[in-house]
Amino acid sequence: MMKELNKRRVIELIDAFYGGNIEGALALCSDDVDFFSNAPVDILPHLGHHRGKDDVRQMWTTVHQRYSGMRYEMPFIAAEDDRVAVQLRAFFVKRLNDRTVQFDTASFFTLRDGKIARIREIIDTFDLIQQVVEQDFISAIAARARENI
Amino acid sequence: MTEHSLWRLSRALHRAVNERRHEELESLIDEDVDWAIYGPIDMFPFFGARRGKAAVLDVIRRIAETIRVHRFDREQVMLGTESGASMMRYSLTLLDANKPISLRLAQFAQFKAGKLISIRILVDTFDLVEQALGHPIHLPRIAS
Repeated sequence: MMKELNKRRVIELIDAFYGGNIEGALALCSDDVDFFSNAPVDILPHLGHHRGKDDVRQMWTTVHQRYSGMRYEMPFIAAEDDRVAVQLRAFFVKRLNDRTVQFDTASFFTLRDGKIARIREIIDTFDLIQQVVEQDFISAIAARARENI
Repeated sequence: MTEHSLWRLSRALHRAVNERRHEELESLIDEDVDWAIYGPIDMFPFFGARRGKAAVLDVIRRIAETIRVHRFDREQVMLGTESGASMMRYSLTLLDANKPISLRLAQFAQFKAGKLISIRILVDTFDLVEQALGHPIHLPRIAS
């Protein structure tokens, strides 16, 4: 029962964020919500470590400033006790040129007293960065790497 | 109480990678398994999608030839009736270069009758590539 409720809260948060309702998404979070996702933050400012509603609000606002349309597919969701895990396929449209960035993310949520208190993400960051900068620089790096590893 | 399929799979995978023993793993994979590790296949050819047991066993052999697992910690695990999700931290060695790698990954697995039918593995690939290269990657500054 609690498991289903927690799943619903996480889906509500994702729907609110993707729909541009940042305050609605924040209302589902605890005041000390803690978000972490590894990535170079100069390229991907919506990642990195953010703590507290103000910090998370700023991060999510930056994302919506950079991307106009956002939608997602959710191939997988699982929940146990106060935790929920989702695999998302995200589609973000760049405001700059209307090109779509598509990436998969693993997001793990921990709830406390019915609020989302912790979010941890793992993304195929290399692919995402290539799409954001619109450069295929992995080929050159891979060629150099094969010589060194 | 029956052990969850994710634990059996996890144990069999580590045995296959580190000890090159595949018997247990073979019995836990569906003939039509749908497998994907997201990441740059130019650099790590064992990343990408595979379909069917033979292709998956082949890619696990390739992984076993490339890395050795020293340690793994499960940061989070969620078990469903026939599914499981986990976030893990691994300490590995890239065998060719004898290079230590610390890696975070997430896996989403689905089972049917105790056999793996689908798995998606996401890796923090930028960090992985930098570690494999042994130096930071200088990215162009952009504002998109």
